[in-house]
Amino acid sequence: MESSTRPSQEMTFGHPRPLPPLSRMMALERRRARRRLWTGLAFMAPAILFVAVFLLYPVGFNVYVSLTQWAKFSGFDRFAGLENYLLVFSSPKFGEAALNTGIWIVASLVFPVVLGLALALLLRGLQFQEALKSVFFLPRMFSATAVGVIWYYVYGNQGIINSFLRGLGLGGLVERWLYEPLWATPSMILTHVWQTVGLIMVLLLLGLNALPSEPIEAAKVDGAGRWQVFRHVILPLLMPTLLVVTIVSVLAGFTSFDLVWVMGRDYPNRSTLTLAVNQYWESFRANQWAYGSAIAVILGFFALGVTWIQTVLQHRLERR
Amino acid sequence: MTSEALAFDVASFDLEAAARRERRQTTRNRAVLAAGLVLSLLWIVPFYYLAVSVFKTNAEYGSGNPLALPQSLRPLVENVLDAWSRTKMAYGLFNSALYGLCGAGAAVFLAALAAYGLARIDFNGKTFWFLLIFSGTVFPFQMYLIPLFISYSKLGLVNTRLGMILFYTAICIPFPVLVLRNYMAQLPREMDEAARVDGCSEWRIFRSIVLPNCLRPMMALFLIQFTWVWNDLLFSMVLTSREEVRSVMNGLMVLQGGYAATTPNVVMAATLIASLPTLVLFLALRRFFMEGLKISTL
Repeated sequence: MESSTRPSQEMTFGHPRPLPPLSRMMALERRRARRRLWTGLAFMAPAILFVAVFLLYPVGFNVYVSLTQWAKFSGFDRFAGLENYLLVFSSPKFGEAALNTGIWIVASLVFPVVLGLALALLLRGLQFQEALKSVFFLPRMFSATAVGVIWYYVYGNQGIINSFLRGLGLGGLVERWLYEPLWATPSMILTHVWQTVGLIMVLLLLGLNALPSEPIEAAKVDGAGRWQVFRHVILPLLMPTLLVVTIVSVLAGFTSFDLVWVMGRDYPNRSTLTLAVNQYWESFRANQWAYGSAIAVILGFFALGVTWIQTVLQHRLERR
Repeated sequence: MTSEALAFDVASFDLEAAARRERRQTTRNRAVLAAGLVLSLLWIVPFYYLAVSVFKTNAEYGSGNPLALPQSLRPLVENVLDAWSRTKMAYGLFNSALYGLCGAGAAVFLAALAAYGLARIDFNGKTFWFLLIFSGTVFPFQMYLIPLFISYSKLGLVNTRLGMILFYTAICIPFPVLVLRNYMAQLPREMDEAARVDGCSEWRIFRSIVLPNCLRPMMALFLIQFTWVWNDLLFSMVLTSREEVRSVMNGLMVLQGGYAATTPNVVMAATLIASLPTLVLFLALRRFFMEGLKISTL
């Protein structure tokens, strides 16, 4: 019976069966669509459930806590409006942390991408490309914690940098790099760049290798120099990849916690190093949950802003 | 005669120019290669530093050149044993492996299910559900911390392995969904259409047709997420504090907090132990990692 609905079998019967009325067919199609919806949802249900319960609900709850006077042990006290935010913005600690985070944002906007692009162009088509790629990618396989520990010693009194300076007879330049407010953030950023450049480079190499070769060859035939080809052909074609990579770099940079936490051990007031550390400190060391969640919301707004800029720029690139 | 000589001249000129260009090309290539090699050597200096420091005694570390080769290999044993006992590293390694295997494994499987729904079944309102899952990648981790801790405290999930696995599963889901959806969308649809006409259930199609075709990207995504879980410090710091439950990175952080100044060589040894598993994984399965990055850019 079931097999008789197959077209090949219908033909052998000689006369086609009459079609059911249109209304019944539409009802059937509606029923099928509804069944597809439920099947699709059933496949997605576990993932949606996990994401909703462990990621989206906390985000909402965080916004709520930031609008209350919430204390660690007594719990909810009263609705406080924007009081926590005013407290946050008037705190000098927040100001210092925000400034440092700003430095992180600018640095992770520029250095990993520029260096990654330079490395990608350098390594492309080179002998031992695969081996060199692995070397530059290697730091990425270490955790930020491990990298932080290693570089904590690299910058230490007995560490590589200070020993090197002493060896050159430049003992006057020896610094307690991670202890000095002027040097702590740049030192950590250098470590962060060392760790993340490899990934950016690999992603850009993938982007470069996926570029169409015709426009590049055509430009070369027309007598364009190396720099001209890069500036006017390769760079515009690579723009979408560069955009994604830059966004990834910024988002990873401004919320990076592990590295700063581990390396900032000796910093005079660790809670002012970056907003991520500031948020952890106020929440889990000072137990100011409402205050800490307000900082988290501010970080969240910033991340949303970055994502929004990304979508706008992507649309603009696609339209071109 | 004259025309022949001219042709010969042109040819020789061309050859010479080509040879010159070739030579310039190779010298340039050699210079670039040299630059690349020097840079890569600079790049691994911190690893070299780590490698020599774990072989030094405390006194040896404190005196002299940090990059000098160690006097003997024996101190390694003592450093490792010290690190092992001070942070209860056996617990840390076990826990991190458990969280990584369960969290990343479950996440990639659930992500494959969701991706199948998104890429292979036609229904209305798909974009909404996709954005719902995808929004799990938009917010900074800081927004999860306080609510997670409050809810986990109420439910008694703080300092439990179950709580850690559940959260790591959740946070590892959105990215593979994104990648696998794109991957599944480009697989040919003829096979599942045929199976559907033959009366196959969607589950059968998923299990016997689509899943076997997605094993490679799933493996790559699992490696990426496993490494992420293994390397995470923040969530382990917030949700666990007991030595028996915390991850290996958390243990390393605590060890560094207590002994960074007094016994650097022991802390270095702990760093090496904690990093070795993912490092070996990477060196052994490098192809998979790179392929994972490749499909991530689809």
